[in-house]
Amino acid sequence: MSENYKFDTLSLHAGHIPDKETGSRAVPIYQTTSYVFNSTEEAASLYNMEVGGHLYTRISNPTVAALEQRLAALEGGASALACSSGMAAMHLVVSAICSSGDHIVASSKMYGANINLLQHTMPRFGVNTDFVNPNDPEAIKRAIKPNTKLVFGEVIGNPGLDIMDVPEISKICNSKNIPLVLDATFNTPYLMQPFKHGANIIVHSLTKWLGGHGIAIGGAIVNGGNFDWGDKDKFPTISGPHFALGGISFWEEFGPSALIAKIRAEGMYNFGPSLSPTNAFHLMQGIETLPLRMKKHIQNTHSILDFLVNHEMVEWVKHPDLETHPDHEVAKRILPKGSGSIVAFGIKGGREAGKAFIESVQLASHLANVGDAKTLLIHPGSTTHSHLSSEAMKEGGLTDDMIRLSVGLEDINDITKDFERGFRAVKKLNK
Amino acid sequence: MIINFKGAKTYIGTGGKSLDVTKMTLCFLHGAGQNHLSFIQQARFFAYKGYSVVVPDMPAHGFSDGNPCKSIKENAEWINDLLVELNIKDVVVIGHSQGCLVALELNRILKSSFEALIFVAGSNEIPVNQFLLELSKENPQKASQMMVTWGHGIDGDMSINKWPGHSHYGEGNNIMCMNKPTALRYDLHSCNDYSDGIDAAKNIKVPALAVLAKNDQMTPLKSGLKFVELIKNCETHTLDCGHFLPSERPMELNSIINSFLLKLK
Repeated sequence: MSENYKFDTLSLHAGHIPDKETGSRAVPIYQTTSYVFNSTEEAASLYNMEVGGHLYTRISNPTVAALEQRLAALEGGASALACSSGMAAMHLVVSAICSSGDHIVASSKMYGANINLLQHTMPRFGVNTDFVNPNDPEAIKRAIKPNTKLVFGEVIGNPGLDIMDVPEISKICNSKNIPLVLDATFNTPYLMQPFKHGANIIVHSLTKWLGGHGIAIGGAIVNGGNFDWGDKDKFPTISGPHFALGGISFWEEFGPSALIAKIRAEGMYNFGPSLSPTNAFHLMQGIETLPLRMKKHIQNTHSILDFLVNHEMVEWVKHPDLETHPDHEVAKRILPKGSGSIVAFGIKGGREAGKAFIESVQLASHLANVGDAKTLLIHPGSTTHSHLSSEAMKEGGLTDDMIRLSVGLEDINDITKDFERGFRAVKKLNK
Repeated sequence: MIINFKGAKTYIGTGGKSLDVTKMTLCFLHGAGQNHLSFIQQARFFAYKGYSVVVPDMPAHGFSDGNPCKSIKENAEWINDLLVELNIKDVVVIGHSQGCLVALELNRILKSSFEALIFVAGSNEIPVNQFLLELSKENPQKASQMMVTWGHGIDGDMSINKWPGHSHYGEGNNIMCMNKPTALRYDLHSCNDYSDGIDAAKNIKVPALAVLAKNDQMTPLKSGLKFVELIKNCETHTLDCGHFLPSERPMELNSIINSFLLKLK
């Protein structure tokens, strides 16, 4: 019977039914590189993409496929592909859609590695990017050129927490027949499903909230199946004859899943950024509790916002759920359950104060990750951006005093007590 | 391949191989609101097995332009004319769902040489409830979503797919969205209005194969079993899945069809 299961149920079950042979309730870890073919005919069928199946774990694996199918179900996409990291996912998408001479329009307020890839690496291969303010749909429209092949941004920007007006930007992309590719790591499908707002392709760092436990690096591409790749002049390697498989047209043969089929046949085959089956298993364990964790992440985030906004040692607090955030209205519209669990705040006393705070807290972990079940902190001014001047940091939307906080699932009173410890250290410094 | 047929752009999938009418041709007919992508895992499979494969997008479906056919008879005549246009003589027609009704009707009028008929999730009648008929006019996208949900068995619900990473629901919805908005309405009315199935089934004189689905909510198993009783010597198989056999049980379906075809040679 068809049940149309809801999000919480799919988080636990999608992608796996216990097999009749073993009855294993958990998704088995198929820790294998390769698969025995029953006949040469079967082997040929898999190589020719005549039917689905597994031939080599660099291309696909049953444990990884269960994760992919769970992600496709949670996002409401046509198909998904998991890979070794979020950055691998990003590179796979860009290299599948763009060739030398093509152009990208991207948000100027993004994760540093996303910017590095587009600003420094891809131009070496003839793919250039114009960076524009993600909060200005008209600027995005103006930046689109005849050779623009995709528009890219982050739903919730890292680290600035800018919110992209996805419905507005998707209308622009749709009118120009250009796919809108979004990094949806900070929102996860629990807070917002970008395909419902018109996006076409999603990339995730599974390492963060989806995995949620800081134990496995992974990435994924989810394909909405809602983009028409039929323009052979614009997307010749997707709709026109491809060198692989005797001149296959992925669009004609796979329709809504053309992009994922192409990435599997070309990107995974030629670049090889596969996800290990064991990491796929760990990431699925995380996804099983995603709805529960996200509820608590948001609950704790709202509590910590109250605490920080009213604290005498805090100069400023930035989060899209605060009315003071410039994108608050957009956030309310497209992220009604909450705008994620990253908070940026400034401590009175500048760079030295930030450093003292970080070094004094005990419960919160000082490290370069976000989206863990545990509370994480980093002070860009004394770590990731310590080589930059105050002015240079400001240009990048960062300040000397800024602390990036990834709110965890601990008891909120323990988190605030820990922060009070940090603030006391700052007070001593300021005396 | 794309041809201009009856004044409209018409897409015909050939499974990644060139059409060669000197070989036995397998003509796949898609169901209501579907298109050639219903047979993703059949077209290439049989083309690479040495058959000539044609999977047309009916008018207003998939990559084909034109106006949708308004009856099963009109669909069958369109296919008949297409086979003549392509100079296809020895053909095995494989219908899925509505495609089975079209195949039945085609059997009565076909001018080419019919080798065999294969019915996948078929029946001699496909009544459509009034609610879905009305919804297909008012909100075809919603009607498509409901059909995709009803049409799949548990593999759809649980996002289980033989093709790694693919979602039956997500893919199915988008395949149906590729059609012109009026296509589904005319398809469903064509199915609902068709009443010549019993006579057409009794009239089959070529080898026939039926592959039915245990959990089919669109053309229920009970109806399918009654249908095959009407056909003389119809080889019948039942698979444990929903209505969308070609994507839910591709390997099993391909294996059954392949064995049947080998017996014809």
